[in-house]
Amino acid sequence: MRTALIILGKDLRLRMRDRSVLLFAIVVPLGLTFVFANIFAGADDVQFTAIVVDADGGPAAQGFVTDVVPALREAGIIELQPADSSSEARALVEDGTAAIAWLIPEGFSDRVTSGAGGTITVVANPDRVIATEIARNVAATYAGELNRIALAVATTVTAAQQPPWAIEATQLPGIADEAAASAIATGATIVTRTNETSSRQLDPRSYLAAGMAVFFLFFSVQFGITGMLEERDFNTLPRLLAAPISRAAIHTGKAAGAFTVGAVSMTLLAVASHTLLGANWGPPLGIAIMVFAAIIAAMGIMVLVGAFAKTSEQAGNLQSIVALTLGLAGGVFFPISTGWLANLSLLSPHAWFLRGLGDIVGTGSALAAVPAAGALLGVGAVTALLGAMRIRQVQP
Amino acid sequence: MGSTDDQTVLSCRGLTKTYGQLCAVDDVSLTIMRGQTYGLLGPNGAGKTTTISMIAGLLTPDTGSITVAGEATGPSRRAAKKHVGLVPQELAIYPDLSARENLAFFAKLHGMGRDVIARRIGEVLEIIGLTDRADDRAGTYSGGMKRRLNIGIGLLHRPQLLILDEPTVGVDPQSRNAILESVEVLAVEGMSVLYTTHYMEEAERLCDRIGIVDQGRIVAEGSRSELTRLVGEQTAVRVELAGDVTAAVAACRVIAGVDSADADGATMTVLGDNGTVILPAVLAAVSQVNASVTGVDVRQPNLEDVFLHLTGKALRD
Repeated sequence: MRTALIILGKDLRLRMRDRSVLLFAIVVPLGLTFVFANIFAGADDVQFTAIVVDADGGPAAQGFVTDVVPALREAGIIELQPADSSSEARALVEDGTAAIAWLIPEGFSDRVTSGAGGTITVVANPDRVIATEIARNVAATYAGELNRIALAVATTVTAAQQPPWAIEATQLPGIADEAAASAIATGATIVTRTNETSSRQLDPRSYLAAGMAVFFLFFSVQFGITGMLEERDFNTLPRLLAAPISRAAIHTGKAAGAFTVGAVSMTLLAVASHTLLGANWGPPLGIAIMVFAAIIAAMGIMVLVGAFAKTSEQAGNLQSIVALTLGLAGGVFFPISTGWLANLSLLSPHAWFLRGLGDIVGTGSALAAVPAAGALLGVGAVTALLGAMRIRQVQP
Repeated sequence: MGSTDDQTVLSCRGLTKTYGQLCAVDDVSLTIMRGQTYGLLGPNGAGKTTTISMIAGLLTPDTGSITVAGEATGPSRRAAKKHVGLVPQELAIYPDLSARENLAFFAKLHGMGRDVIARRIGEVLEIIGLTDRADDRAGTYSGGMKRRLNIGIGLLHRPQLLILDEPTVGVDPQSRNAILESVEVLAVEGMSVLYTTHYMEEAERLCDRIGIVDQGRIVAEGSRSELTRLVGEQTAVRVELAGDVTAAVAACRVIAGVDSADADGATMTVLGDNGTVILPAVLAAVSQVNASVTGVDVRQPNLEDVFLHLTGKALRD
């Protein structure tokens, strides 16, 4: 143990002097977190600014303007931005002043009463994913219900020998009220679903900070894992092996170096992102469990990759490729929550790390980290074992 | 396994190491006594580094045994490793650490106590002449200074056996002389040294006993005088030639009184009982073939002549 600590001390001193570890472990991930946090600021907020332009003014449009929109505003889902025309609304969405705009075209009420079917246009900022989904569903529900109820009423009238293509204009306000109730319910359902999903995910800033931290963790642990190859590059390996110490002590010292760099990096990033960006990674014990497991996974994978290299430079290149691929697949730059990519992402330890943090934030319990941490520890153990077998095979 | 004599620091018996079809070390045996400097003299690729790697416990021999200060050595034999100081041929230092930090790191690995370390580092820095630059990063040193630090690390823990693998390769003449003087001081202080080199002058200057190595085997062993006697009480006539060197060598081999004639490039070395007698015959023989003489030197044979005599090739091949 004493020998391992001596080697650890020497390695850490060397790392501090070449400064590359500071760059990869702290400066770059923290800097990128700041940059991305500003770029994507507010991208997924549930509350958003909306515009409604009523070019119809008829009773069918009134249901939307006087019932649906105020209800959404009172629920705290939208803030209203005034606009006089469709073109002004489009411009305000385009410049980011508003997230979405509902455009009710002229003749909307006439189309509903004539049985031709009315539609509401939604103009949306593509970066505001949740806002767009809410706006589109609310509009579709209102227009769809309006048309469906009107058709049902018209069918009844047909049975009473009235023209089949029309309803009485006086019936429209009542129909609009019913459609408005459905639309409001739809908006509330989407918001609830979004909040339920969000409760198991990190907020955008925390996600970015944690994603960057685990992404660069795979680079920072490289410095310890390639240590034996670096000793060979320095020609100091024969000198170490000729000293009265065990080979296991050398490996332990190198592994301790990787772990220390990884732990310090992750801790500093968690604290810095919390202090400077307001990021929340969850309860400290849960964070500690997840960070420990992530470091073990990163070390195991890097050992396996490094076992196929002959020089530290070659190992660094291979490890960087793997770290980049796993990071992208694991969704460190953007969340992957649906589709086959979401399933694929579970092959990446990065995804498990982010999922684990989401679980402990969502539940508020450190114990929620256990499944994800278990997966990470399993990956670390298996890859480290395979890497060790490979090293013994090529360096008997 | 223990030594039969407490004056014996290193004992190797029947060492063999093969890599596939290549026999790098073939039945090598040697003994180094306390305070003795032993030279392994041979060209590059002769098996010197493989031999010392086994002695230092970096490699396991296929056959044979090694003891250092009575302790059997090998990759997992820590007791024997305590008695060995290794100075690898390549610089084995951390360029981002200072000389003092490099020395301190390896001193700790050898289990030296904190109070001992500070004192011993000061002594070693004096020996290798780096006291003034002790706290500068090793990467800023000249090649010779790095070489001296490389040696300093090896002798830091006062090993009973210091192994120096070609320590002067690529070193300027001034630093080379400083290194050789350091080795001489260590020998005077009673440290046993195993010194590998392909420079004949270094082996002649430093070594009490010399093993001449070629193709993994020790082809001759002894003191300098014992080895030169292998070529008899002979004189070496060294002739610089222009033209057909091969024909000149063949012509000289048949001269009466000539024991051997070999060439290394344009230099032909002729060994005979009496240089003054054979010299005219050698010059006459050269004039008979398509070659001309550009220089002549008559002297007592040295280790290079011994190597040439034993192996038929020059030491620098």
